[in-house]
Amino acid sequence: MTNWQRLLAIVAGLSALGAAATMLPQIQSLIFIVGVLGALTLARFFIPFSFWIDGVLAVLAGVAVLTSLGQSGPPLWLTLIAMWVFAWLFIDRLATAIANGEVGLPGIGVLVPIAFGITLLAIWEAVVQGFNINHVFLPPPSAIWAKLTAADSVAILWKDFQQTFLKGVLSGFALGTVAGLAVAILVDRSPFLKRGILPIGNFASALPIVGIAPIMVMWFGYDWQSKAAVILCVTFFPMLINTLAGLNSAGRMEGDMMRTYAASYWQSLLKLRLPAAMPFIFNALKINSTLALIAAIVAEFFGSPIVGMGFRISTGVGRLDVEMVWAEVAVAAVAGSASYGLIALIERAVTFWHPSVRGGRA
Amino acid sequence: MKKLIMPLLAGALALTSATGALALDPIKLQIKWVTQSQFAGYYVAKAKGYYEAEGLDVTILPGGPTTPVPPVLAAGGADVAVEWAGNALIAREKGIKMVNIAQPFRNGGLELICPKDGPIKTEADFPGHTLGSWFYGNEVPFFAWMHKLGYSTEGGPNGVTVLQQNFDVSALVQHQADCISVMTYNELGQAADAGFTADKIIEFNYSAMGNGLLEDGLYVLEEKLADPKFKEDMVKFVRASMKGWDYALANPDESAQIVVDADDAGAATLAHERYMVGEVAKLMAGANGVLDKATWDRTVQALLDQKFLTAPPDATAYTTEITDAAFK
Repeated sequence: MTNWQRLLAIVAGLSALGAAATMLPQIQSLIFIVGVLGALTLARFFIPFSFWIDGVLAVLAGVAVLTSLGQSGPPLWLTLIAMWVFAWLFIDRLATAIANGEVGLPGIGVLVPIAFGITLLAIWEAVVQGFNINHVFLPPPSAIWAKLTAADSVAILWKDFQQTFLKGVLSGFALGTVAGLAVAILVDRSPFLKRGILPIGNFASALPIVGIAPIMVMWFGYDWQSKAAVILCVTFFPMLINTLAGLNSAGRMEGDMMRTYAASYWQSLLKLRLPAAMPFIFNALKINSTLALIAAIVAEFFGSPIVGMGFRISTGVGRLDVEMVWAEVAVAAVAGSASYGLIALIERAVTFWHPSVRGGRA
Repeated sequence: MKKLIMPLLAGALALTSATGALALDPIKLQIKWVTQSQFAGYYVAKAKGYYEAEGLDVTILPGGPTTPVPPVLAAGGADVAVEWAGNALIAREKGIKMVNIAQPFRNGGLELICPKDGPIKTEADFPGHTLGSWFYGNEVPFFAWMHKLGYSTEGGPNGVTVLQQNFDVSALVQHQADCISVMTYNELGQAADAGFTADKIIEFNYSAMGNGLLEDGLYVLEEKLADPKFKEDMVKFVRASMKGWDYALANPDESAQIVVDADDAGAATLAHERYMVGEVAKLMAGANGVLDKATWDRTVQALLDQKFLTAPPDATAYTTEITDAAFK
């Protein structure tokens, strides 16, 4: 163990000991039992043991905290600290072990972020419930989950997802991508356009969403078309700039070779330069996939039909229906990550020749 | 020696006068919207020294479309707030125990306006058409009205299509909605400027139709009201505020200038503020700040019908103690 891990081990053991001591004389309570078990881990300085024990203790402490949320006081908070530090220790040691190749279980790498996420959610739940924080300021994850799974709110969330993501984001994203790509090819061909369009594109990308959203509503109406127009504006420029850089990235040598083959402009574009630009283009696609969702949600704040993720978030805040706001935020986070992941997967398939992919990681 | 004593004396004098200023009780007022004549009474009471005369040092905090008032109150960002009853009652059910202590606006300024050359002539024409409403918690009266008329708000031939409109009249100018929501003291003026003058529109005024829900009232947190000192400050605050309103409505030109001067954002214009204070005067005709129980009950019923509330609020959701003490 590193010095840092030793320090964590001491803090974890001592807070568990503290939890057990302050829980006396209720020795049959879960907090006391977990506290004693946690305190026993201080023995690790004489008999080293596996990090899995830390993981198990973190889970036990988490269960102890979440089942005793009613009795806010030193034992609860000390157990919470113990849970947090045990989880930290577990994740830290696990990550080190994976890096050193000591654990070879398939898929073990996923465990690190999952353990991290669960710890965060448990602390969140415990703090909100334990300190009795008004849900308007911060609802506990359990309340958000209840909202995410209740039949009537699922219907609303699905309608909002259709409106914002399936209609607005996908069409705007497609438009922005195609337009950016096409203009990049034009600009690449013509030095005149390069001088004319690039500064304008730059200017357009600097426009704030809150400025263009109401204008697009005026031009294209309240429905998803105006949201798609806003997305077009924000995704166009990253695509344009990245594609331009990509088109220039093809090697001089390969270019010369195409010329010796008497390849036409289009042949060398399709066979050499566009494929060479793919890593850059996918870069833009990945940036735009999350940018598009953010733009759509923000744009819905400035006039919309009474459906959509941004609409629901803004009215939820007004009605103090904060669980719904967080549920929409969760859906947006999952949708954004999923589209990012999907594009990353397609990228691996398309740019299989690129060194970064050949190395095995996208 | 004399040379030393004089500055010391001066210093001591300065100190006592400073503590004299500190003796004013600081009160923070969160208004529901940006600095405008909708809140003229408070700005006038401050500028005219009515608050100071009562021993209060009042700071007015402007809000805006995206600033919900109840969390500000709950987090201690303000002591008292201007809010609509619907939002306050919804917040109360969510654990932010807001109490109405006074009701300066007797009538509401909310209207739905439709161009005369459009398809809407009466309430019966609504189905199949598009109506604009604000949200951010301002949608309560609109949905309560539609519920009363028995129209679905999900579109279709027997329902109305609802737009989340901006805080301006562009939806009408662009023909994107058949009718839009306006406040008599604000967007109605904008509509007139855009060509939709009173002779060219049909107005559905919520208060005139008997569908009005209580608008600008003064709200505080219940737990703060338990403190006698705070209660006394609120009595003084309400008394000085209503005095400010009386002056503002009697002297609209001066009041408009006070509001323009108070607007740090620099957005308020004299002509618009003058118009607004004139319209606000209509809402406050005969108002003395005392809550009208019948309108309160109707507001509560509309919220229950629309399921904005799950249960009727308890009796402590409003109190007349403050206004009783202020105007006895």
